[in-house]
Amino acid sequence: MKKILLIISIIFATVLISGCQGKTYEIALITDVGTINDKSFNQGSWEGVVQYADEFDVSHKYYQPSDRTDDDYLEAIELAINNGAKVVVTPGFYFEKVIYEVQDDYPDVTFILIDGVPNNLVFDEEGNVESGEERIEDNVYSILFAEEQSGFLAGYAAVKEGFTSLGFMGGNAVPAVVRFGYGFLQGAEYAANEMELDDGAITVKYKYLNSFKPSADIQTEAASWYTAGTEIIFVAAGGAGSSVMAAAESQTEKYVIGVDVDQKDESPTVITSAMKELKNSVYLCLKAYYEDDDTTISTAETTILDATNDGIGLPDDFSRFENFTSDDYNTIYTALKEDTDNIRTNIINDITLSYDQLGLVKVSVDYTNPET
Amino acid sequence: MEVFYFILQQMMYFSIPLLVVALGGMFSERSGIVNIALEGIMLIGAFVGVVTIYLVQDRLSASLYASISHGQLVLIYGLITAGMTGALFSVFHAYASVNMKADQVISGTALNLFAPAAAIFLARSFAFTNYTQQVSFNRRQFLIKKIPILGDIPFIGDILFQKAFITTFIGLLILIIASILVYKTRFGLRLRSCGEHPQASDAAGINVHKIRYIGVIISGFLGGVGGLVLIVSTQTEFNATVSGYGFLALAVLIFGQWQPKKILQASLFFGLMKTIASSYSSIPFLQILNFPSQFYKMIPFIATLVVLAFTSVSVQGPKAAGEIYDVGKR
Repeated sequence: MKKILLIISIIFATVLISGCQGKTYEIALITDVGTINDKSFNQGSWEGVVQYADEFDVSHKYYQPSDRTDDDYLEAIELAINNGAKVVVTPGFYFEKVIYEVQDDYPDVTFILIDGVPNNLVFDEEGNVESGEERIEDNVYSILFAEEQSGFLAGYAAVKEGFTSLGFMGGNAVPAVVRFGYGFLQGAEYAANEMELDDGAITVKYKYLNSFKPSADIQTEAASWYTAGTEIIFVAAGGAGSSVMAAAESQTEKYVIGVDVDQKDESPTVITSAMKELKNSVYLCLKAYYEDDDTTISTAETTILDATNDGIGLPDDFSRFENFTSDDYNTIYTALKEDTDNIRTNIINDITLSYDQLGLVKVSVDYTNPET
Repeated sequence: MEVFYFILQQMMYFSIPLLVVALGGMFSERSGIVNIALEGIMLIGAFVGVVTIYLVQDRLSASLYASISHGQLVLIYGLITAGMTGALFSVFHAYASVNMKADQVISGTALNLFAPAAAIFLARSFAFTNYTQQVSFNRRQFLIKKIPILGDIPFIGDILFQKAFITTFIGLLILIIASILVYKTRFGLRLRSCGEHPQASDAAGINVHKIRYIGVIISGFLGGVGGLVLIVSTQTEFNATVSGYGFLALAVLIFGQWQPKKILQASLFFGLMKTIASSYSSIPFLQILNFPSQFYKMIPFIATLVVLAFTSVSVQGPKAAGEIYDVGKR
């Protein structure tokens, strides 16, 4: 019996080893949760990998961790490296802790962390830093997005379309969401100024939901906003967006602005989405790595992608708007890009400020305190 | 006035699932089996119902049924499979608590723990969910914006026949059937007697085991239906949770003192408070008061305690509920 077991284990070991020494894949992508076609972070990043890999003929493969835990992420990353990965793309802030560890363990491998900064920070119950640090080694690209510019475009488009009663629902008062929200308010203000509306002509209901998950309560809350007159809600709260869309669908002429990726397929009420250009950002990182060019993006520091390098924006499809056209969009986008009249640099993205310190005149904010 | 109708319409989205599930709980407890597995049963029923909806919604549209009623037909398919699954699932509870004479709270808890895990595991093994735990479905097809003629009736039309789901009417129908079944039929009398004094029922020639099985299975069916009703009226995707509505339904059952009519009142009250808790910021009158939303969420439970404190002397639940039926005990 023992001999049989021994033989079997030898066979297995041989198969495993020979399996590992088979084909190697230079670019690896680790999915955060779900699969490659999640219409969200994974898919967007993977498209960037494929675009670069096809253009320059580099071998590439994606790996799906068995679960959303740091251990499973680590396992998947090590598997990818064993399979010959030189560049590992990790989309999403869930990877921050793991990248913090592996950047030291594998100094010869380059990591591209999208939407996150490697850290081992520990927070106390009130969200203050208890211990830990942020650290980016020479082999890590850390990419963040200028959410405030994406939100700015969404707010601008909504007011230009003719909406005067807007809403913002954020998942939590975390930096990325706050930047989306503040950008949204300032975009609305900018458009209102351009259209020479009266002071306070635009009202924005503003709230953090304390949840990124869909729930009946959020659906009811959104429905109550719509009933009380809100015409369009920008929801930066992940899965909770589906509850807001459900609320909009029950009413007539009520709309939603999606977040992160183009969410138009989720509901006909999604008029546009405040996107982060994942595909493009991964492509740029890979290009910078292979061409050893650190003019736009470099390792060992956090790069914030914004309008200047097409890191954020609205989707190309403007068919759900009636008044706001792609020409209008291109005009404002070019202005952001070239910083005409300091439009870009004037957008406040300091999340330590409160909403009433943003200098809003045309926009009056109806702020609901986050419940604790 | 618009806000007023809005609240009542929203209230129905919460109240109807609570009503259906609490009625299910009533059947089980009236037969003498405490069913705290309602949460798990709702979840598993909703899961299978949503999967059914997902699978049939596109297939049917190509066929004859591609008309206004198409969405309603899809929903009815979903409700039936949700109910059947809930009934099947509840058999575990019935077997454990009737045949195996297990503690009913333990076996109910086991089902509650099992259900979300099973739903996530299964959802993640399907290709159409992209191996994620969310199952999405097209909710728009179910919503009835306005029923012709009936929707024009003042007041009632606004509440019941506009922005409604067919599930509202099914729920009310279930209420009527349940009341008749419990109070006007031979089965109802036997059901109630088994929950009050099973030994006496047995002596009168009633098969207590059979009646208790039927009671639990009915509660499983209604629990499954209620789970899907909740998801359909408030979500666009199912995410392996019914957010504690099964337990809330138990509170409704107790607040409603195990009687269909009072269960209806209790579920309307709970639904109203739920609605106000999440929409008070848009209600002019309550906006001025500016209570935190937790206050409104708390009211139904405080009310349950108060009602129990005042009525527990005169009105009690089924006496033998939760008790294992032991033939030898007299």
